[in-house]
Amino acid sequence: MRFLIARSHGRAGETHYDTFEVEVKKGDTVLDVLFRIQDEHDPSLAFRYSCRGAVCGSCAMLINKQPQLACRTQVMGLGEKDMHLRPFPAIETVPPEWSPAQGVLVEPLPNLPVLKDLVVDMRPFFRALRDMELWAAPAQEPRTQGPEGRARIQRYLDCIMCAICYGSCPVNAEHSDYVGPAALAKALRFYADSRVTDRQRFLDAALAPNAAPMCELIMNCVRACPKGVAPGGAIRQLKALGHGHATDTQ
Amino acid sequence: MTIRHDVLIVGAGLAGLRTAIGLAEHCDVAVVTKTHPLRSHSVAAQGGINAALGKDDSWERHAFDTVKGSDYLADQDAVEVLTKNAAAAVYECERWGTAFSRNDDGTIAQRPFGGASFPRTCYAADRTGHNLLHTVYEQALRLGVTVYEEWFATSLVVSGGRVTGLVALELSSGDVLGLASRAVVLATGGFGRVYGRSTNALINTGDGCAMALRAGAPLKDMEFVQFHPTTLYGSNILITEGARGEGGVLTNSEGHRFMGEYAPDQMELAPRDIVARAIQTEIDSGRGVDGQYVWLDLRHLGASRIKERLPGIREICMHFGGVDPVDEPIPVQPGQHYSMGGVHCDWTGKTPVKGLYAVGETSCMSVHGANRLGGNSLLETLVFGAVTARTVAKDLASTGEPDVTAVEDAAFRERERLQGLLLRKTGSRPTDIRRELGPVMDRLVGVFRNETGLTEALGRVRGLQGQAQRASLGETDREFNYALVRALELENMLLLAEAITLGALMRRESRGAHWRTDYPQRNDEEFLKHTLVTGAPGALAVQYTDVHLGRFEVKERKY
Repeated sequence: MRFLIARSHGRAGETHYDTFEVEVKKGDTVLDVLFRIQDEHDPSLAFRYSCRGAVCGSCAMLINKQPQLACRTQVMGLGEKDMHLRPFPAIETVPPEWSPAQGVLVEPLPNLPVLKDLVVDMRPFFRALRDMELWAAPAQEPRTQGPEGRARIQRYLDCIMCAICYGSCPVNAEHSDYVGPAALAKALRFYADSRVTDRQRFLDAALAPNAAPMCELIMNCVRACPKGVAPGGAIRQLKALGHGHATDTQ
Repeated sequence: MTIRHDVLIVGAGLAGLRTAIGLAEHCDVAVVTKTHPLRSHSVAAQGGINAALGKDDSWERHAFDTVKGSDYLADQDAVEVLTKNAAAAVYECERWGTAFSRNDDGTIAQRPFGGASFPRTCYAADRTGHNLLHTVYEQALRLGVTVYEEWFATSLVVSGGRVTGLVALELSSGDVLGLASRAVVLATGGFGRVYGRSTNALINTGDGCAMALRAGAPLKDMEFVQFHPTTLYGSNILITEGARGEGGVLTNSEGHRFMGEYAPDQMELAPRDIVARAIQTEIDSGRGVDGQYVWLDLRHLGASRIKERLPGIREICMHFGGVDPVDEPIPVQPGQHYSMGGVHCDWTGKTPVKGLYAVGETSCMSVHGANRLGGNSLLETLVFGAVTARTVAKDLASTGEPDVTAVEDAAFRERERLQGLLLRKTGSRPTDIRRELGPVMDRLVGVFRNETGLTEALGRVRGLQGQAQRASLGETDREFNYALVRALELENMLLLAEAITLGALMRRESRGAHWRTDYPQRNDEEFLKHTLVTGAPGALAVQYTDVHLGRFEVKERKY
């Protein structure tokens, strides 16, 4: 099978595409193939990896123009999947040498600066955690929490910070200061947690000008999220809370 | 340029971050990690964390289960510290915001786990490690802990008999830099990738253990490698013991529930070493499916329970195995899972080398002895992260400034060494060496071992070490040179493979996870001892040291 891989050297470097012919078998993931290319064809190919089991969030990239975890993406099933994302240039523009019939296109996750090949600078994505202070103030004593209280935030807890939502968001594509969907889902995770006593600060952070107000509810994040977190739903709730007509989430 | 901090911690999983949190308010601490902290393997821990929270349970019972599970090789003083501090560690994370699964009355839910006499495993669905790591990372952010992300530590610097810093490769630039410090804490996790079939993340290459050995610190009990009974056939991704804790059963190709023949009382919830050997015996006796695996059947639990309690497992099975456990049994086989052995240290985190500490899976204190109980590894990272931080903070008071010149010299030498490796145009490919190492370890140093196989393995590993000395990477770039990182990891793994195999060869008994078909009995007279490995690659040497007994009498281990 043919793989077309985006290659680049640093921020200033031009992107070009290298073609590799790789033998694949049933069960192979895109991550398996990338290792095979690094091992057999080009040891300079750079990509991130760790758990290879879709829990660590390292290997988000653009595969056939859809943001996905390379480790969880089966090569054989690639043709069947369409996330129905609202287009923006990074997922719309196709290199002239590629069409889906000709093989697999692998590119870095959009909306973050490319450092090398498939490695992007994650700092703009992670910066929001610090800027929005998305952590709990330690409680003096352990608390109880009903199962339903936990169930309310379960979906947001499952976020693995892979940045696929960020890379699929047309707003992030245009505005590098937008904190992005994952950080907002995490803000709601704390705001809606029945144990949190200083919840207002999470809502305030989420309603800052570079946060929820920038979201246009396009919902690419919901369609692309590999863990079912649905950050767009969280943002919709945050916006409603900001307008003062939301039910109590806690 | 030499960077300076009071304390450097290598590794940003639960153990490293918890240690950093403990030190953040006392001194200038920095964490050096080859991945972003949230990519650490702690994130993959599924089943839970043990603590005697219930009124009917006690730390003494937890301690006894741990010591018995260890086949009496655990140091009982260390186990006491682990279990006495367990509840506090769990409640600390609760106070920091971890969303544990709950009982109807709002208390933290607990599930049964293998080898435990009480349902004492606290959990957050089947994503306990994920929830704990995100919490601990949040707290490290809150405290403003400095993290050198994507810096690969290559060696420790020793001057005047004490560790005075380390040398690291900054992945983004390819620069090799010295970092001077008054203390170094190793928290790099396990070394599962020495094996071909492993549940571990691809990054678990034992870098801390290898660095420690080269710096003169002994490795302890390296032959005790835990093989998890249930890893998904194909990718060997972990299928948590929680799946059996919730009621999952194991059947062979004849549809027979075979655990009755191996552990009639505890059945599927016997400790991991026993279940792994049972499955391997079924496969080796021709009762495996396709000669490769057995079935883990959850279907009788029903869709709603599977979706509520084991959502991550269901997702893994569907995405990586093509099966939905609601409708079909899961194909599973044993695979390397945990490294009981590690850097020799006492329960305070101190190694025999001054200024060097170890904590978490990297370390061997030893709380797991010959076999770790499920739910005790997450616990170890948090309890001993806090303990080690206190030890380091106390020792700093009497520690002088680091030897910056020695660090600069070491960085210079490391630069030359790596340059030499990068310039080598001919030689074996690291890929080929790696592909040979895994199957050798799986086959000859796996669930079942014997003298012939171990001798062969030792020869093959030493042969591969020789090839690695002459390896050539091919054409690479300076920036994000993952081929270089993987070659350095391979060097580390080859050193550890030798230590594991040598320890296994010399230990002529069967105990816990170390099973010798030619010595099937436990032999307390000769081997109720910890193995210590020291020396240089190709010429490692073994000695033994006493186990700390005292509280519990050494008995036969039966379930």
